[in-house]
Amino acid sequence: MSDSILDIQNLSLSFQGLTETVDVLDNINLSINRGERVALVGASGSGKSVIARIILGLLQSQKGAIVKGSVRFRGIELEAATGNQIESLRGREISMIFQDPTSSMNPVYKIGTIFHEILNRGTHNISKKLALIKASKLLEEVSITEFKRVLESYPFQLSGGMNQRVMIALALANKPALLIADEPGTALDVTVQAQTLKLMHNLVKKNNTAVLFISHNLGVVRQFADRVYVIYKGRIVESGSTSSIFENTKHPYTKALMNAVPKITSKSFFDASDDSSLFKQPAFHHKDREIGQ
Amino acid sequence: MPPILRLIVQRISLALVVLIGVSMLIFAIARVIPGDPARIALGPNATVEQVEILRETLHLNDPIYVQYGYFVRDISQGDLGVSLYTNRPVTIDIAQFLPATLELVIVAGIMMICIGLPLGMISARYKGQFIDNLLRVVSLLGVSAPSFVWAVILMLLFAYFLPIFPVAGRIEDIYVIKAVTGFLLIDTLIDGNIDAFFNASWHIFLPAFALALSGIGQAARLTRANMIETYNKPYIEMMRAYGVSQFRIASRYAFKPSLIPSLTIIGLDFAAMLGNAFLVEAVFAWPGLSRYGVAVILRKDLNAIVGTVLVISLTFVLVNIIVDLLIAFLNPRIRYSQRPK
Ligand SMILES: Nc1ncnc2c1ncn2[C@@H]1O[C@H](COP(=O)(O)OP(=O)(O)O)[C@@H](O)[C@H]1O
Ligand SMILES: [Mg+2]
Repeated sequence: MSDSILDIQNLSLSFQGLTETVDVLDNINLSINRGERVALVGASGSGKSVIARIILGLLQSQKGAIVKGSVRFRGIELEAATGNQIESLRGREISMIFQDPTSSMNPVYKIGTIFHEILNRGTHNISKKLALIKASKLLEEVSITEFKRVLESYPFQLSGGMNQRVMIALALANKPALLIADEPGTALDVTVQAQTLKLMHNLVKKNNTAVLFISHNLGVVRQFADRVYVIYKGRIVESGSTSSIFENTKHPYTKALMNAVPKITSKSFFDASDDSSLFKQPAFHHKDREIGQ
Repeated sequence: MPPILRLIVQRISLALVVLIGVSMLIFAIARVIPGDPARIALGPNATVEQVEILRETLHLNDPIYVQYGYFVRDISQGDLGVSLYTNRPVTIDIAQFLPATLELVIVAGIMMICIGLPLGMISARYKGQFIDNLLRVVSLLGVSAPSFVWAVILMLLFAYFLPIFPVAGRIEDIYVIKAVTGFLLIDTLIDGNIDAFFNASWHIFLPAFALALSGIGQAARLTRANMIETYNKPYIEMMRAYGVSQFRIASRYAFKPSLIPSLTIIGLDFAAMLGNAFLVEAVFAWPGLSRYGVAVILRKDLNAIVGTVLVISLTFVLVNIIVDLLIAFLNPRIRYSQRPK
């Protein structure tokens, strides 16, 4: 797997509280190849966001967080336990899209200023003028034609959908090799969410950007991902190509998730079992062909 | 009308209303406190006729609303009347004493901002660590004693036991400085007299610091709390995820949003220093408005009392307007919203 962009092995996380230690992640293994779109799906609280924050090294500095295991980016060990090696990669090689685009942009700075700051990560000491020219092109790529007005605006002056496009443009500004999208657009209207996802999909395909797509909704994932990991209570319970997961579902938890996707046509609420003891069954990893080979 | 202009007009009209209210109030209060101003001014040896003549020229025998009418007529011509204590126009008296007070308060305000804000930022950055705990104790000390207590303590420590700083006054008598602005720190520079400038700075340091201490503590505590809250915001996590440096986040992206809620309180503290300055001035024999204010109150010098209070209220109101505009300038949400707040 020389083509691997991200390789997570035996990753565990626990939080040391005053009286007890809470285990949040248990032995996570997850890998992403160059240009591959991988989804990580699970209920809220299952540990998806903490994985993203560990990759970016944002969690390690927190008091009481104990991280074990290995995270490699392009074969380079990132020293997941401390998160020290990741800093230089942030915003250049790895970038992130957050759940709520409007609240994840600084409310007292103009979009243009935020672009300048982020582009400065890729091109050191880039002038404001050049940054704005680059930003305009990036905004055009996410179908924003009135980029002048947008760059002059504050995030609260734009719609959620517009901010989401801006966020996508920001995330791809420095042509990262890996994009982490943590429930992108969940805070938006469904139609707007679908539009922006499609946009993001086209762009990462064009740029050959690998994506770790985090979602609690299997339905959204199907169109987007090449491969899927299903996570339940900090443990990967099933993994495989999107088609294997959808057409040959093995694990009871994945089945439950599948049935939770709202179907307009279905008459009953859930046909799935809600017997969560079944979810403790051993993990199932589909033996798919390597994607792209 | 652009929102920012609307805001200015609105704040200024509000300020006018406040000033009119204050003027009526102080006008009435100055006249209810016991004692006949004319009698006090003329002394115990004056005859009843002399007192009566002065009362007549001062319109003291007219009903209070008529007196207020005269007052409004005069003030619209920039005339605050004559002080019975100094026998000079009140405006001239105030012009002489106000700059010393303003200079003290402004230097204290600058200290409050330049020391308090960075302390709060450092505390928030190293939250829960030794340096944070140390700074929190220091800022708690600052707010826990009133400024005149600090004035006495600082004077004892650094002017008496360790005679580093002068005990009293604004500048040594050997320097003769032409008054242009009335602010010695500026006038000495206009004069090009660097020695005198340092002498004046050396004099103002302790009283200004004593005056600033509680504000420094307050600003540090507020900034710390607001910065910590801001650090938990998604947009700061976003900046970190994109590799923006800790220093740049602390000094820019977390600082500005945290400053906005702090500013209102800092503005109030700044205005409160105008009042506290009276006591600090007394301790350091600072030749400011306090001397004048105390003297004219004791003598029931009506025009001077009303004039002094009005000028202080005006300064207070101006500070508030400036703070409001500063907040609007920093906070685009206010700047762009049509309605205030
Ligand atoms: N900073 C933290 N301190 C303590 N517990 C945390 C922290 N962050 C997350 N957790 C816990 O870890 C679990 C996983 O959280 P998270 O990764 O945010 O879930 P999600 O899958 O919804 O993104 C949750 O039970 C949460 O309570
Ligand atoms: Mg999450």
